[in-house]
Amino acid sequence: MLRNGCLAILMLVLGLPFGVAQGQMLDARRLGMGGVVTSDVGDYTGSNIAFRAVPKGTGGSGSIPLPLGLIQYLADHPTFDSKDSTFNIYEVANVLLNPPLTIKLWQPSEVTGDISIFVAQDSLKVDLADVKRVIPKDSMKQGGVFHVGGFSKSFGKVFLAMSPLIHVKNELTLSDNLRDALRDAVPFTGNTRYGLTDEARAQAAISFQVGYALRALYRPSPDEGQNADPRRNGSTSLYLGAAPKYLLGLAYGDAHSIAGATTGDTLFAGSNPVTIDMDTQTRHAVVGGDGGMGSGLGSDVGAVLYWRNFELGLGLNDFGSQIRWSTTVRRHAYDDSTNQFTTTEVASGERFVSRIPVTTTVNVAKRIGRTTIAADVVNGDFRTSMHAGAEFWFGMLALRSGLSRDQNKMAQFAGGAGYRLGKIGIDLAIATNSRNIERERGAELSASLSLY
Amino acid sequence: MRRLIPIALLLPLLAGCGNRNLILTIDILSFMDPGSRTVNYGPIPPTPSDTVEVFSDSLNLLQGISDVTRVMSASLDVAASFDNTSGAGTGEVLIYFAAADSTNPFTTTPIASIPFQLLAGQITNVSTHIEASPALAEVLTHDRAKVGLRIIFNGTSFPIQGVETLTKLTATVIMKKDL
Repeated sequence: MLRNGCLAILMLVLGLPFGVAQGQMLDARRLGMGGVVTSDVGDYTGSNIAFRAVPKGTGGSGSIPLPLGLIQYLADHPTFDSKDSTFNIYEVANVLLNPPLTIKLWQPSEVTGDISIFVAQDSLKVDLADVKRVIPKDSMKQGGVFHVGGFSKSFGKVFLAMSPLIHVKNELTLSDNLRDALRDAVPFTGNTRYGLTDEARAQAAISFQVGYALRALYRPSPDEGQNADPRRNGSTSLYLGAAPKYLLGLAYGDAHSIAGATTGDTLFAGSNPVTIDMDTQTRHAVVGGDGGMGSGLGSDVGAVLYWRNFELGLGLNDFGSQIRWSTTVRRHAYDDSTNQFTTTEVASGERFVSRIPVTTTVNVAKRIGRTTIAADVVNGDFRTSMHAGAEFWFGMLALRSGLSRDQNKMAQFAGGAGYRLGKIGIDLAIATNSRNIERERGAELSASLSLY
Repeated sequence: MRRLIPIALLLPLLAGCGNRNLILTIDILSFMDPGSRTVNYGPIPPTPSDTVEVFSDSLNLLQGISDVTRVMSASLDVAASFDNTSGAGTGEVLIYFAAADSTNPFTTTPIASIPFQLLAGQITNVSTHIEASPALAEVLTHDRAKVGLRIIFNGTSFPIQGVETLTKLTATVIMKKDL
């Protein structure tokens, strides 16, 4: 029982960040430019629906990742066997946070080291040593909106799309007392509550979408010539896109939990040294089960303006998206005096509307000849990231560089090169990131093919 | 003696340590009644030897820890002070740890024996470090244990009389995760 409990706590604490793996970029061209998105670099996930209406230019139209990291992983990877003496769950978590598709050039040092605990009747000090690195200074926030796979088909300016949509978020907050005790080895004291709160939410739906993207404004440039690419022909063009969507809700669940341990006058003076409190309220609905499926509406909208080879884009994904559910609400409370959990059903069939958070992408770019200079800001659930980069072409050879501010508010750096062979090009990029449980800087090498 | 702590609550963090250890240091003395730390001995009449049992108590510790850890080694630090007012002699301080189901910890083999020498009107401090005691490790893999302290006097000058004070009793247990 205790074994299972420990594993459950581990997965709660460590498993929650798994959702941030979406920060990994497999497009080496985009990665070499610091992860910046423009209408012809890296927008294969549809960050701005108006990009659909913009003619393909010389900047590329797609990317095929080359997962060279798998070779490195097969040669050297952590054990998943918890019975193995070298098993380290932080290393396993890092594999999930950082799928081995790129070559790891360097990584933060492994979380290791002995944990020391000193116990006396009125004293408790916990020195987590190296494990302190995984305890953040602030709340642990993870999550995101994931459009996984799916397909779309264009019919002129109209397109149809269907894709699974997953939204997960979690925010785990330690009380100041608990954080100080674990991060800074501050001794536990009497008559103090050491607590935490956790807010978790997950929902899954299938999105059915009908969209329309068009050029709404066009003023040709005198020196436009035969070049139809608005990015480089100097014209003034405005493209707009909108795509309402129907959301078929498959499952919803949330949990609001508080838990803590309150010490007495003397830390270990009684048969029960601490008073434990735990209270969780859950809400759920699932197709084929309680509440059944949900339904809702949403939309993606976007606009992009070209003016004298400047590009300014604004994309709003999941704008106004929400799903109505018939939910079951339960409360799970722990009674310290009886050492028992009790579960009570608070409501059944209760109407509830969940929101899909908006992802906003603002991008700017300037093309000068074959050179592109670009920047963007992406704001989503819990995080705002910024990217800036440039690409310089010398014949068939491209050199790229960039920087970004990632979800951990750290500056990251990137550089790369590409060589174009007709309709295809090969790209390499080296970039730093903090996609690891320690939230420390590492570096990776990514390779991909570009389609021109 | 009272329950120490549900240490197991902290064990999930140990799982991240790979092949590393949880080092648990317990100040056992702090859990003892202050009155039981000190014992008046004597006056001991002229006899070949005399035994004083300082205390025998039940210790609930490492609650549930054996589910998820295995004890690799255990060590003990013991220190005592004798304020001997009269008489002289030699002796031993014996420390016993026994499983909770034993009726009397003094029926087991002591895990530590600290020799001492007493002189009239002098304070004698003794201490020892018991390293990697298998007996202690065996006892600490269980939720409960019994602990006892006994002093044996071998007098050369009588009557022997004074005050013994236990000044340190600290166990250090090194464990590994067993998830």
